[in-house]
Order: sequence, then structure tokens, then C-alpha cells
Amino acid sequence: MTKDTTDQYWKSLNEPQAAGDEFPEPLDATRVGFRRREFLRAAGFVFGGAALSGCGKAPVERAIPFLDKPEEITPGRAVYYASTCDGCTAACGLLVKCRDGRSIKLEGDPQHPLSRGGLCAVGQASILGLYDTQRLRHPLRRGQPSSWEEVDRIVMETLERVRADGGAVRFLTNTVHGPTMRTAIGDFLADFPDARHVVYDPLSSSAILDAHERTHGVRVLPHYRFDQARVIVSFDADFLGTWISPVEFTAAYQSGRNLEVARPEPSYHVQFESRLSLTGSKADERIRIAPGEVGATLTRLAALVARRAGVSFEASGSTEELEPIAQRLWGARGDSLVVCGAQDADAQAVCNFINQTLGNYGITLDIEEPSHQLQGSDRELATLIQELDQGRVSVLFIVGVNPLYDLSGSERLEELLRKVPLVVSFAERLDETAETAHFVCPDHHYLESWGDREPVAGTVSLLQPCIRPLGDTRQLIESLSAWRSAPKAAHEVVQEHWRTHIFPQQAEQVSFQSFWDKTVRDGCVKLDHAPAPARQFNAAAVQPIPSATSNEFTLVLYPKVGLRDGRHAYNPWLHELPDPITKVTWDNYACLSPLAAQQLRVSEEDVIRIKGASSVLELPVVIQPGQHDRVVAVALGYGGKITERFADLAPRWLEAKPTVAENGRVGTNSAPLLELSGGTLRYVAAVELQAAGKRHPLACTQVHHNIRVPENLAPPGGEVRPVIQETALAEHQSNVRSGKEYSEHEHADLWGEDHPFTGHRWAMAIDLNACTGCSACVVACQVENNTPVVGKDEVRRSREMHWLRIDRYYQGDGNDVRVAHQPMMCQHCEHAPCETVCPVLATVHSEEGLNQQVYNRCVGTRYCANNCPYKVRRFNWFDYPRNSTLENMVLNPDVTVRSRGVMEKCTFCVQRIQEAKIEARRQGKPVEDGAIQPACQQTCPAGAIVFGDLNDPDSRVSQLLRSSRRYQVLEEINVRPSVGYLRLVRQQSPATEGEAHG
Amino acid sequence: MKSSIATIVLATGLVFAVLTLAARLSDVRLPGNQQGYEPVQPIAYSHRLHAGELQVDCLYCHSGAEQSRHAGVPPAGVCMNCHGFVTTSLGALRAEDELAKQEGREPRKLISPELAKLYNAMGLDERKPDPSQAQPIAWTKVHNLPDFVYFDHRAHQQAGVRCQTCHGPVETMERVRQFESLSMGWCVNCHRQANEIGVAGKPVNASIDCATCHY
Repeated sequence: MTKDTTDQYWKSLNEPQAAGDEFPEPLDATRVGFRRREFLRAAGFVFGGAALSGCGKAPVERAIPFLDKPEEITPGRAVYYASTCDGCTAACGLLVKCRDGRSIKLEGDPQHPLSRGGLCAVGQASILGLYDTQRLRHPLRRGQPSSWEEVDRIVMETLERVRADGGAVRFLTNTVHGPTMRTAIGDFLADFPDARHVVYDPLSSSAILDAHERTHGVRVLPHYRFDQARVIVSFDADFLGTWISPVEFTAAYQSGRNLEVARPEPSYHVQFESRLSLTGSKADERIRIAPGEVGATLTRLAALVARRAGVSFEASGSTEELEPIAQRLWGARGDSLVVCGAQDADAQAVCNFINQTLGNYGITLDIEEPSHQLQGSDRELATLIQELDQGRVSVLFIVGVNPLYDLSGSERLEELLRKVPLVVSFAERLDETAETAHFVCPDHHYLESWGDREPVAGTVSLLQPCIRPLGDTRQLIESLSAWRSAPKAAHEVVQEHWRTHIFPQQAEQVSFQSFWDKTVRDGCVKLDHAPAPARQFNAAAVQPIPSATSNEFTLVLYPKVGLRDGRHAYNPWLHELPDPITKVTWDNYACLSPLAAQQLRVSEEDVIRIKGASSVLELPVVIQPGQHDRVVAVALGYGGKITERFADLAPRWLEAKPTVAENGRVGTNSAPLLELSGGTLRYVAAVELQAAGKRHPLACTQVHHNIRVPENLAPPGGEVRPVIQETALAEHQSNVRSGKEYSEHEHADLWGEDHPFTGHRWAMAIDLNACTGCSACVVACQVENNTPVVGKDEVRRSREMHWLRIDRYYQGDGNDVRVAHQPMMCQHCEHAPCETVCPVLATVHSEEGLNQQVYNRCVGTRYCANNCPYKVRRFNWFDYPRNSTLENMVLNPDVTVRSRGVMEKCTFCVQRIQEAKIEARRQGKPVEDGAIQPACQQTCPAGAIVFGDLNDPDSRVSQLLRSSRRYQVLEEINVRPSVGYLRLVRQQSPATEGEAHG
Repeated sequence: MKSSIATIVLATGLVFAVLTLAARLSDVRLPGNQQGYEPVQPIAYSHRLHAGELQVDCLYCHSGAEQSRHAGVPPAGVCMNCHGFVTTSLGALRAEDELAKQEGREPRKLISPELAKLYNAMGLDERKPDPSQAQPIAWTKVHNLPDFVYFDHRAHQQAGVRCQTCHGPVETMERVRQFESLSMGWCVNCHRQANEIGVAGKPVNASIDCATCHY
């Protein structure tokens, strides 16, 4: 089960058996039950049909021009509008690409001060929500379609009565940091004698705020500045994957670790964690601890830091192994950062103490201009539930949360909600909570809305509508103003708020109109914000936490990079996105360490029963190297009602199996094991585990499309080189040659040098050191290139269609592992093996170094895919369902929708290359470096992908590909890929790390 | 004897068949080839009159050709630039003037039946203008490429290719007809030639890579 401790990289614990299995289904010729005559009969029918189909008349197409063309719109040209992403509360900057009146793609806004041009997988996928056929298009009254007049009349009558009676009005939302919306809710509630705005986040960071209230006297979430930190120590905070603001943090983290710029030292990152998170996979040093030890470990670290600072802080237990980390932190005091993701205010207070003692406040943690991204207060949620229990609440408004799904005890909660005289939900889809509400007043999709966001104090960004509303929905602020008998359009409300509140906070623009116009164009504005003065640190509020080791299994509920809290569970792109670490799609599961699985006598896909205090879950097992041995980790966000839609997602054929499980849903909701105790939502719980004696198939892509050169095929004279190559930091800095040297040798060439690239020569550089594996590029590629979703059963047959995949490799013995992420797409080989085997020349080389795939010529022999050493070609086994006109509106009109029987693969976003070239020619100037960004590069928060012209020696890609870190994957087979990889740089060699913490 | 008669009959039949087929051979074309397609349009707009006789520049109406992949059909608003004033042909106006003078009355306002369709589309009904009744005009597309082809007008316009090279003598057509086959072979031939002899006296780089048009 365990792997050898060598510096070999591997993908799966079952290697090489599973990895060698290139064909998932055995090839058995005897299964083909065709006789000659039957074959001829069928063939004759096919040819006859083909001949007949050629005789048909082409369909008549209409060209319908505008009556009066708006000035800025030219049919066929994309227009970009600046807006703000509402996929989560991080509020990254967007440029929304609109073609002919419909939004088709979201791009990160490079001007945005926080997200800096990146966008995560969830943000990329959120555009599909706009065209979702199951989004509510009318208001509902007790589940039946209603009209706004009726809703308004009844709601206003009820509110009038409640106001007279002095009844309690509660507004339950997730974090709302839009200044306009916050004010609108506040004004609305001010009309009632007993009204309160209750905020909770399904993925809560409430403990951080509570701890700051204790230690700094102000309930804030600090704005973490990973770019300023030279040493980062994280306790269970997955800040590159899902924690608070992953895109912003990834960009900042990477800017502190960029080896190409002249920073003396990249930052050093230590991750203490119980499960293997995306962040842990990038850490320079990763230490497995049980969730229960977080507080005690923080305490010991605090004691070490305190001793150096000459402050007293008591801790019990051995501190020896933390000594080097404390030394590093002390050495970088003032620009180090300790973060903690645990929902435990005591532990958070100790974390604050460490940062305070190190003098990090004001530098790497900003509480003067704090973050607003998570403002939830679990304590107030508990109070609200208490009030509901007492039957005290008369009106409950619910926005942006789904308590009957997000929280445990949903049956009881549903009963409580049914007792409330008026429940109004603003959900976009009919979720669990909306179903019990008296009224559902569907809000616009955010791309149809006016609004604003203030993710960090002083940084305010606007949302502007990029498309006319597709249904009879109404924006929340319009509903609120209507119910205050002062109906106003959202545009007016937002503009009015900006005129009176935001405009006076800046000095740059003198007239409001110019300020407004500029902000609408830029999307974001930095205000001359008066920082709140820092409060005194209250050391008395910090208590040492004793060690509490137990031998029980601890359940860790975590958000997945794709699905987070489950609000986007309607989105098939996110379900089909392989988890960056486990590579499983379309399911959640129980992660166990190899040792734990051995002890429980379970293997992968075996179902285990997880028995918590109040609930029992049954989930299939995934064996996760690098996880703590007493931890079982389960993802949140699955098994919601909105996943019932995937029942008939997959292509229909004889052997097709459904994407949903027996319960009709995708995955299992793990929220019933979430605990709300002591005023904090707790994502860890003691559980008992037991094999359930069943199996549940999982669609895992980790051993699909393996690339390696078998020993017997190693090129003569050349050595087989690892697919992942790395170098030590010291070696890289000495700058002679980074990483192991491999012998250069002469290759015999099939092609002479008769194909010079005279014009452009497109190439790509991928920095493995920067890539975090966050998978934003995978979804961006899918949106840009109209890649279909195939469903769980097809993924199990290795038929996923993603043009770009991220291969995740492990190194180590299966207990402590080091991870490498490698984005893999068509390498556009100069000597492409696919091209030589295509019998119909459907894949050929272009004059600019592109390996072209011509769909209309392809007859589907699949020879090319079989001959591709990188396994990046994808075959359309079906005409994947595209039946909904509404959902088809998201398709990129610049990319052909491929039909059944056609091969496809990464094109380097050739549609963008063509667009940029023609546009440059139109303007009479050369194509600028950076003007062409493939979708993957555009969205990458870490800037790991660079595309450009290799014939231009000054282009960024040329510079990067001259780096001493550059290598090519499978260089020894001499296919000369156009994609170069930059070696991983390890700050510690595996050997020394092993010694560091045994 | 019998067999020779049969041979003669058969041979004559064969020659007849070949001749008939040869005569129809010009009609035989690949599937998807719509050369000669000349659909009836909702408004009998005459390119001969506008582009030929009145010498209105192609780009005046099809301005998209300079900025976009699509040349586009002009918005009705572009028609109104002139037809806000010109409501019928000059001949008809003069005849009405003549008639009015003879009958000693004010000349009536004349609107040609084809332009009436334009005004209706704009919601400019003579009796009661009502912009809410505006309905865009659904022209029938003449030049229709398959969905897997991405032709870009910008590049060709920029290189100095005349519109007539692909669209034929539109200025002589009463109703627009697809003049060329617009097949791939025809495109590639032109690209090859352009690389050899240039376009409008300038050397050009007309790529014949597949990905120039197919992606």
C-alpha cells in the first residue's frame, strides 16, 4: 500500500497496475457479434443515408439587423464591461465579455487591486448560472407562480400589521458587504421597532472575528497581506483554495514567491493541517496534525515566540520540533504571518497573540482597513434559532443562504420556519429553504444587476448589468424599496448611494458624473478611507490551550475548491471539475489516510458509515496520502436538492449509467454533522467509523491519461526523464544550472529543417513553481472552448472532455507526501506524432507552430489520440446534449461546437490568436507581446502560464523559456513540444524535511 | 442482325444519356454549395440602383466589414439616413407633380410600397407613428458559410481585396445572388494566388493554414 521513499513522483497508490491500464475496458474481439451480411446491410444503409443527406437543401437562414444600432455595439465584436464577481464574497474584479448582447465569458480584471486579473474556477463557472433553465423566472407564492403585484400587496399588508404589532422582523443573509445593499437593508429594518440583520456564512470564519473582538476590542476580519510576508505559517487555513479570498491570496502569495523578480528570498511557507489541502500541497514544509491539536500547537509556538520577545506565555509539552519554525518567524518578525482556519476563538486568540508579539499587525495583517469578505456571526445565528424556537419571529427574510441545507438539524429547523407567519426567500433557485418559504422573490443574477461591493475597507467595486434580465425577476434592493412604498430602480438606488456616501470619500474627481462614469468603466475605486485607529492589544484575553490528544477519529468538514458551500451545486462544470487533490468528480467522499484505511479494512470505493453525535452518513472511501491518520475528511456542498437536475445529464445509450446516486442527487450532504455549539459553527467533530459493507463507484481521473515512457521504449542513448522535475532553491540561486542535468544527445529527425517558422512561433511557458493546482484554468478553458460536460459514468470510462487537465503527482511514502501540480494540454509538438498517423490530414501543423485540429475533416479514427504521448486528445463519443436554447447562449460563437465522432484538443485558443492578429493588422501595428492571452493564462491567479511569440526574443515567453529552470516533458522522445515547463523549486530537500519532524 | 440493332439502340441511348448528363453537369455540385442562390427578400431592395446607379459605397451600409468579422446587414436606421427624405423614385414624384399641375392641386405625398415596408418596420406608420410597433426586418442570408468556417471581413478589407472579388458584380444585381461557389478550394486558390501576385499591387501574407478559418 505504501510507496517507496524515493524521489520518484507518482499519481496513485495503486500504481503501476492502474496507471498502466491505458484502456479502461478490456478489448475483447469476441464480444463483437456482427456477421458479414449484417455488417454489409448496415453499411449499405449508412452509405445510402449519407448520400441522401447530401442532397438536402441548405436551411434558409435569416439575418436580422438592429433597427437603430447602439453606438458601441458592432455585430461580431466583443464588448467588455467591468463588473464584480458574485460567485462568493471575495468579490474579485471582472471584465464581462459580451457578444451581440449576451454575456459569454468572464475574465479577471487586471486593474483590480485585489484579484489582479485572476479568477477562480467558481467565478469562471458562475456565468452558466445566468442561462440556467431552472433559475426561477417568476415570483412564487406557496410554490405556485405569482405576480409581483400580488406578492407586493400581501407582503406589504403583512409588514404593516407587524409594524403595528411590534412583531420581530429578521433579515437572514450571508455576508453583505455592498455598501448600497447594507444601507438598503438597514433602512428597511429601521422602519420596524424590533428588527435585526442576522449574518452567517455557511463557510464561517466567525471565530477570527470573535477572537479579534477579544484581543483587539473590535470585531473585524483582518486583511491578510500574503505578499508582505517572508514567513507564512498556516494552521488548517486553505488560503490558496477556499479560505476567505483565494484568488487575491494566490496572487499575493505568488508575488512573494516569484523567482523571476529581484526579491532576495521567496517566502517560506509552513502548513500545519489535518487533511491534504491545496495550500498544503504548495507548502515548503507540511506537518500533519489532528484538528484537536491546532490550539495546543499554536500555544507551544506562541510560547517559543514569546520567549524570544521576552514576554511570558506558558505552554506545556515538547516544543523541540517547533523550534526551527519559531526561529524563522522571529527572524522575519514584522513581516511574517501566522493564520489559522480553525473555527475556535480560543485558538484564534493565540494566533492573534503570536502575530501581535511578532509585530505583524499593520504590516501583514491589516485591521485598520480590514477585510469585509466574511462578516458572519455564528452567535447571532444561534440567537435567531433560539428566537425561532420561542416563536418570537413574525417575519423572516432569507437572502443568499440556505439554512435548511447549510445547517444541521434541518427537520427541526424546517418545523421552526413553518411556524413563522411570513417567510420570504430571495433565492434564485428553488432550494430547500425556498421550498418552505411563503414567498420566493427571485433576485436577478448578478450579471443582470446593479450593485456594489466593498471586499476590503476603502476598496469599492461596482456591479453593472451586462444583459437584460432573462426572466421576470427583481433585484433585492428594488423589492425592498417597493415594500417601503418608495419603488425605485436599482440603478437609481445605487447611484444615489454613491452620490451621497461614496463620492464624498474621494478627492480625485470633482464632479459626481465623471466619478461615476470612471468607476463604471474601471469597475473599482480606491477611496481615501480614514483608517480606523488600531486598538490596544488585550493580552489577558489570550489563554494557553492544553493539549487534547484523543485516539478517536475526527471528522473534518471542508469546502471543495469547485463546490465550496454548495451554492453553485447547480453547475455541471464545477461537478465535473476534478478535485485538485483527489481528482474525483461528481461526488463527495470520506478521505482516509492509507494507514487508517488499512486499520478499518476498507479500500477505495468501499462505503463507510460515519456516526456523529446527531447523524449518520454513508460515504465512499477515498484513500488520501498525506492525511492525518485519525482524521476522516468529507466535503461540504454536495447532496443538495438542486443537484436532482443531473438525473438525465449524461448521453443516453445502452450501457449508460446515471450521474446521480440512488437518492437522485449528486453526493451526500455532510452538513448534518456540522455543529453549532458555543456560538460557533464547528467543522470538526468526533465520530465513529465503520465499514458499511457496500461499494459506491467514484469517477476519479487521477489515473486517466498517464504519461510516461516505459523502460523498454526508452530512447537508445537517452535516459528516461521524470515528468516532474525540480531543483533546490540554493541550487537555483547559485544560477549555474537548476536541477539535474540530463545528457544531450543527437536525435535522428524524420523531418528536415524545411519548415522554418518565419512569422510568429507560438509557445507557452508553465511555471510549476507558481501553479497551485487551483483548476481555474480548467473551467476557463471549458467556457471559452464550448467543451461539453459528459457526466459521471462517461468520466468513469475516461471520456472526460477537458482540453486542459492538471496532473497531480505525489512524492513520498504515502504518509507524508509532497505534491506537484502540472497543467497538461496539447503541447503543439513540432514533430507531432498525431500528425503523422492521421489518414485524412485532419491534424496538421501551421506555419506558426500550432498543431491544428480540423473538425470538418476528422473522420474519427482516433489514431492521433492513441499516438499522443501526452494523452491530451479528446474524442466526442456522443453528440453531448445541447438542447436548451437558453443554456446554449453561453456558447462562444467563435468556436465550433463539435459533433459526434470528431477528435478535439487544445488549440492555444486559436480564435484569440486570429482575433488579435487581425485586429493588429487593422490598426496597422504588430501584435504586441501579451495581447494574446489564452483563456487559461488570463484566468490564472498565480500567473503560472505565459503565452507568446518565440520568434520575438524579447517576449516574456522567450525570456522564460531561456530560464535555467526550463525543461520539456518527455523531452527524450524528441517530439519538440512548444510548451516548456519551469522546474519546481523546493526550499527543502525531501531528506532534510524528513529529519525536521521525523 | 438483331444484336446489331440492339447495339445501335443501346449506343444511341448511351450517347443521348451522356449528352443530357453533360448538359446538366454544370448543375452538379458538392453538398453545401449554394452558388447561384438568389432568395426573395422581404423588401425588394435593389443593389443595382443603390450601388450601381447611385454609386453608394459598399461600406456605407456594410460598415461592419471594416471593424468586425461580419460585414453585416445595415440597421434600418442607416436606410433612414436617406429614406427619411426620399420616399419614392424620382420618376414617380415628377409624374405626380405633372399630374397635380394639370389637375390644379397640391401634389400628394407618395410612398413607394417597398419603402412603406421599411417605415412599417420602424414603426413609422403614416397615420399613427408608434415606435412600440417596430419590428426588425428579417432579411434572408445569401452568403452562408458552414458553422465550422470563420471568415473575417476585416482582414480582407484591410488587405485591399475588393468586395466584388467574392461577392461578384453586386452593383449590377437587382436581387443579390451568390456569385461564387465560396467553397474551400475556391478560397485557398485565391489565397495561393494572392501570395504569388499580391493584392492590388501590394504583397500580402494570405495564410493557407487550416486554423486561419477552422477553429
